Amino acid sequence: MWKLFISDLKMLARNRQALFWVLFFPLMFTAIFGLFFGKNINIGTIAVIDKSNNQISQGLVTTLEKTDVFKIQTESDLPAAKDEIQRSIISAVVYIPKNFGSTSPTAPKQVEIIYDPGGQVYSSLSGIVNQYLTSVNYQIQNSEPIFSSTLEPVSNRTLTYFDFVLAGVLGLALMNSSVIGLGVSMAKYREDKILKRITTTPVKSWKFVLAEVFSRLVINLIQIIIILGVGKYLFDAHIYGNIFILLPVVLVGAFLFQLLGFVVASFSKTADAAQGMATAITIPMMFLAGVFFPIDSLPKWLYTFVQYLPLSPLLRIIRNVMLEGTSPFLTPKNSVIIVAWIAIALLVSIYKFKLSDE
Amino acid sequence: MANVISVENLSKKYGKLIAVDDIYFEVRKGEIFGLLGENGAGKTTTLEMIEGLRHPTKGKIEVLDCDIVKDRNTIKERIGVQLQSSAYYHFLTLKEILDLFASFYSKNLSSKELLKMVGLEEKSASLIGNLSGGQKQRFSIIASLVNDPEVVFLDEPTTGLDPIARRNLWDLISKIKNQGKTIILTTHYMEEAEILCDRVAIMETGKILVLDETHKLIEQSHFPYSISFIVKKISQQKLSELKKYSEVENVFGKENKYTLKIETQEKLNKALKTVQTINPESLTVGRATLEDLFIELTGKTIKD
Repeated sequence: MWKLFISDLKMLARNRQALFWVLFFPLMFTAIFGLFFGKNINIGTIAVIDKSNNQISQGLVTTLEKTDVFKIQTESDLPAAKDEIQRSIISAVVYIPKNFGSTSPTAPKQVEIIYDPGGQVYSSLSGIVNQYLTSVNYQIQNSEPIFSSTLEPVSNRTLTYFDFVLAGVLGLALMNSSVIGLGVSMAKYREDKILKRITTTPVKSWKFVLAEVFSRLVINLIQIIIILGVGKYLFDAHIYGNIFILLPVVLVGAFLFQLLGFVVASFSKTADAAQGMATAITIPMMFLAGVFFPIDSLPKWLYTFVQYLPLSPLLRIIRNVMLEGTSPFLTPKNSVIIVAWIAIALLVSIYKFKLSDE
Repeated sequence: MANVISVENLSKKYGKLIAVDDIYFEVRKGEIFGLLGENGAGKTTTLEMIEGLRHPTKGKIEVLDCDIVKDRNTIKERIGVQLQSSAYYHFLTLKEILDLFASFYSKNLSSKELLKMVGLEEKSASLIGNLSGGQKQRFSIIASLVNDPEVVFLDEPTTGLDPIARRNLWDLISKIKNQGKTIILTTHYMEEAEILCDRVAIMETGKILVLDETHKLIEQSHFPYSISFIVKKISQQKLSELKKYSEVENVFGKENKYTLKIETQEKLNKALKTVQTINPESLTVGRATLEDLFIELTGKTIKD
């Protein structure tokens, strides 16, 4: 069986197409999201036109610059700036009219925010602007707000959207390389009669399957380490959890997806059929199980369903461990769903996945 | 001679389709035994039941004195199997594949020796994809020899090969026989069976029509002798004279080419004399072939 395991490893390393799915594909996601959201979140560019240029208007500009949420650029011409919004070069314009903030009764009292309704910046932008103006109002009226709120983060950890996605990409990589990779290669083995050829020898089927599983777990391990390494050292991802808890968790996930790969191979006669079926399983999960966005923001009817997809609980556990540093068993429900899926996939594989034709 | 394989009362049904229908035969030690027939005649199904890959619906199979159901693994240790058009791993070299398969058995041969046997030692570090059709087939045969088996199963070993590659393979198969191994092969090439096989069983729609030593089978043919000739013109008188001794066939619509199928030596002599009187351009006297027998038995020609 050792020989089978080593041979399987060699084949995995030599198969360029499979390596693409295993390594390049997830790294591509890591790099794309890393470049967009890695170092600081920047959700758009805001043009500021300050025609007033006094203490109050300058204060507003400084406040905006300090938020770090937008990129701020100063301009002077309103029609030109509006044109830039239409051409999607910038997301919004903050226009401070002449004499704004002066004590003269005829002076303008309003800052204008012109925005692209398709963009996402206006709510946070108007919030920041209004908050600043409110505080100026209080100062001028010499009063204090009666009601206010305080902010207290659960932890002092900085977490970015990239950290969220990186955990998602881990799950995505495992899912693709196992469900697609293993499913298709087993179906190809069947098509090429390699499985049948194996059954003409005295080797036990379970040894053949186990060698396949172990060699792929090794590849999964390398895959995870590379993704985490690139995420952390190239794009400053925050990983708070213990890597030695994270790795076993992730490998349990890999095992589950390999079983799903065997299920795919059980029901497809050709490699093409397996490719189709595997894609039909992985693509919806890629979008509905929370790889790129939290699924609790989905409509409730959809959420009640998608939270049980195999990838969903795995991602919740990976995020708990990796981003919060909590125990993988924090929410028992997640573990229960995963164990249930493993049991189902294992049963189907045992009864349906056959090396021989009969 | 001892029997290496014995098949009794063997049937295989797939739903209503009867793939193999109550067949009996034995394979003797050291011989090349051929299963002949069209595609779908039940050759492969029969072979795969003996190899233990398919479960018989009915019947009993013994290989090397072991029952195929009870001692499946013992048998697998001692047989070598080449599947019909089977591929091997794409990403392992020839040597790696042989070593891997050898590791499945308790007894094994060196991959180097095997590759040398078929002139592939220089390709030992190549992948399967870089081999020609003939090389692939040769490799596939030595891959079935990794455990130094006593019985070798070859399922259509030469299908799809060019004539030279096929002859190469015939050499290889005789070489394996000369090592004292028993070979059971399937083919739909009559010529191949005639050259290679000591004994042949002809199958059609799951049944064995005839089974005997190859030369005896041919002699069993209703018309064991034949004369072929080409002549520009032949008179009706001569033609009817020939028809007394033989069955005259105008071959493949070629106007001037005739074949006479003849039942006895005596009729052969008489017909030959008549043919000589018409001065044919070309004249061949021959024996019937396995193909003639097959056509007689099944009333059709073999299709690829």
